[in-house]
Amino acid sequence: MRGPSNNTMMAFKRGFLRSLLLSLQSSKATMSLEERKRAVKSSADVAMATARGVAGARWPQAILSSSSSSSPSRMQAKVKRCKNIVRRCCHKRRRDGNNGTSFFARTALNRSSTEVARRLVKKRTKVLRRMIPGGDLLDEISLLHEAMDYVVHLHAEVDVLRLVSKALQRSTTSGLFHAF
Amino acid sequence: MSSRRSSRGSISEEEINELISKLQSLLPNARRRGSSQASTTKLLKETCNYIKSLHREVDDLSDRLSDLMSTMDHNSPGAEIIRSILRS
Repeated sequence: MRGPSNNTMMAFKRGFLRSLLLSLQSSKATMSLEERKRAVKSSADVAMATARGVAGARWPQAILSSSSSSSPSRMQAKVKRCKNIVRRCCHKRRRDGNNGTSFFARTALNRSSTEVARRLVKKRTKVLRRMIPGGDLLDEISLLHEAMDYVVHLHAEVDVLRLVSKALQRSTTSGLFHAF
Repeated sequence: MSSRRSSRGSISEEEINELISKLQSLLPNARRRGSSQASTTKLLKETCNYIKSLHREVDDLSDRLSDLMSTMDHNSPGAEIIRSILRS
């Protein structure tokens, strides 16, 4: 099982940056600070999801679906959510072939298989689901795959943003020097 | 590599181990080799914390970027940098 190649990640970084810059450029100046923050966050999420594309992972689509739910396609989003809930129920039924015990808890990776450990794993899995867009709908194996893919892309996002911020900050300082 | 079943529900122990160690290696402070006894709970916790900190950093950096862009003069070198990125 291989992660995305360097070329793929370079393309992702470039695509993400372009999308983000474009949406930041076109953002309205007449927003309150709160609105501005939310808009920026949404722009970054959408840019990341678009740049990654929807193939091979769920989180990009989850981001794009939730960002468009403020549009008239709210009904569509609702329908989609219902479909997903049904799908998830089918998953659960399959999983319950082991009396509903979570896969993680069943694996031999826990040193202690006590009830406490099982409950902790269950709790932590819930938290992880919340951190990954669309995580609620996934079985635990898929959740691991998603987590990896999501982390890799978040990391790349941070790399790119750091570089650009540095470059821009440097350019403003040198601009000041040129004025003298 | 030994056979791998990708159909849902029939995951080999080997595949899950590989997944876990791959995820581990992505996290900061990746464990030393040979220490394969990473508990699932620790892994889940570290992953959540890492994602949380990445989220915070993205928010912070993109806010900063947005601020820089909004105060940028059209003729500033910064604006030119942005234009060249968008042209590429």
